[in-house]
Amino acid sequence: MENMNKQIGFDIIKIRISQMVINELYKDGKFKIPIHLAFGHETIAISLDRIMEKEDKILLSHRNIAYNLARGKNLKKILDEYYLKKEGVGEGKLGSMNLMNTSKGIIYTSSILGNNFSVAVGVALAQKIHSIKGITIVLGGDGSMEEGSFHESLLMAKSLKLPCFIIIENNEWSMSTSINQRRCNVDLEKLTSAYGIKYCKLSGNNPIKYIEELKKLREYAVNNYEPVCIEFDVTTLGDWIMKHDDYPNGKYINYHAGPAPTIELKTCPAIIKTSEQDPVYALKELLDESEIIEMSEKIRAEIDSELI
Amino acid sequence: MNYLEFINKKIKENVAMHEKLVLFGQNINAGSCLGGLTRGLKVKDNSMIINSTNTENSLCGCGFGLMISSISSIFFMKQLDFLLLGIDHLVNTFNIIRNNHDQISNASFTIFPIIVDNGFQGPQSSHNNFGDFCSIARIQGYTITNKFDAEKIIDSKLISPGFRIIGVSQRLFKNEIIEPENVVFVNEEFSLFQYTEGKDVTIVCFNFSFPQGWKMMQKLKEKGIETTLFNVNSPTPINWEKIIESVRKTKKIIVMDDSKSANVNCDALLAEMCGSVSISKKIVIKRKFDKDWLNPIDDQMGVDYDSIINEISNKSV
Repeated sequence: MENMNKQIGFDIIKIRISQMVINELYKDGKFKIPIHLAFGHETIAISLDRIMEKEDKILLSHRNIAYNLARGKNLKKILDEYYLKKEGVGEGKLGSMNLMNTSKGIIYTSSILGNNFSVAVGVALAQKIHSIKGITIVLGGDGSMEEGSFHESLLMAKSLKLPCFIIIENNEWSMSTSINQRRCNVDLEKLTSAYGIKYCKLSGNNPIKYIEELKKLREYAVNNYEPVCIEFDVTTLGDWIMKHDDYPNGKYINYHAGPAPTIELKTCPAIIKTSEQDPVYALKELLDESEIIEMSEKIRAEIDSELI
Repeated sequence: MNYLEFINKKIKENVAMHEKLVLFGQNINAGSCLGGLTRGLKVKDNSMIINSTNTENSLCGCGFGLMISSISSIFFMKQLDFLLLGIDHLVNTFNIIRNNHDQISNASFTIFPIIVDNGFQGPQSSHNNFGDFCSIARIQGYTITNKFDAEKIIDSKLISPGFRIIGVSQRLFKNEIIEPENVVFVNEEFSLFQYTEGKDVTIVCFNFSFPQGWKMMQKLKEKGIETTLFNVNSPTPINWEKIIESVRKTKKIIVMDDSKSANVNCDALLAEMCGSVSISKKIVIKRKFDKDWLNPIDDQMGVDYDSIINEISNKSV
């Protein structure tokens, strides 16, 4: 158990530091393509990676980097893709917002909000027709659940009895507007209940808890041919205060895309925020601080040698 | 046999043969079965017929999801207008899939809409702009206009690796299907069919105007005027060389295009010929839009056959 915790912690920190490396290159203007970093999404990515079995498929959104790192485990190939090189994971044809890795089950990625939900319905239906005891996982944010396709896809997944996870990563932001700035509150539990779809909310960034819960839900979905809606509370890290003459106290900028100016590649530990909103900080529930520091140093060295 | 019965027969023959095929769409196996288009469909045990939810956008996405998972499917659609709701997938989803080698499987996805072109629909439900859908992301599209092209296109394209849209005309449903006696030329893509070879005038039909072109050809024949008759089954521009070659010989062209689009395919042909072919007579028949065009009116493309015959005859003498 202790070793398992360590490996999970190691993998979470590795995704964090890999993103920090990308962020530094991004700040230096090394990429022509737009990239949406996913600081704060590391625990969800590792948890899903851990519960996915061979035949399972996952469909991502534009904020896919954490999941591609968790599944592909190869920063260099992702960087090559971002540089649009043939050696990249998508042969330089996908860039960032459509980055996928079919050999690792990342079968589709869409930059259009809500677009991937219905493609996932087709993938899940195909798994059923092929008699595969697998699950289709699709991710979107609190912005994408505002799209009509989200509701259409819930309806289709339930009506066609498809084993799938419809995951909402709720970070409360859609670009520069928070939920309370753009819409009424939506009780996702009640909404999915109206469709007769099982709902689960996960928060706190405890990977062991996430994995345990997701495994149970996977079994339920596969055995009962049922969709499950999972809402993760997540904080996309990288917000900052912009200095500007018009804003004497500074202007709050939520991180959406591009380089995160206030996040710096730290040797150890790679913590951005001292609260459980930060998956690396939340690892303190599982690991000693000294272990986290030791892992960070080791990962940094590994990445340095990988990228030489 | 009428146009609808023949197409229904061809669809039934094709879908019955395939393993693991999904047929979906609203009411495709209930009620009138899309006015009879999908009546009596039978599939193998490992296939499915789904009377789907009213979720056109997601149904398009679902078809692509099946396709990248190696399952072939056909989405039958009561009218082309509904496909407006699925445009995101026609563009963005299709673009991602066809740009990623890993996802190009042997599976087929066909959207099979009825183009509601029989008039009196009013401001909605008469989106007879098939070409606009195909143009938006360079999608292969095919119109079914007669017995010959129906056989060729349905047999080869309905369930075939890749994605395409095949459109049928509601206006023609109850008409006896036209059976061309012989076919002079068909290109490899089944986007251009030539039915007659004549020295006096070239007729080129676009969208669903083949019946008018066919009638024109017969009327001219009665007057002793020999025509070369083409039908362009693709709603977007193709290689025009075969047609241009014919016009170089006849020097006269009649073009018919009954699409409602502001960007009709026949204009692409005429632009291509401009300056490169010497033409003594050019007659272009398109829909006319007056102030009532949004009202429920008989908005058929009018063809004044006698006037055209006179024009062609005078020049022929």
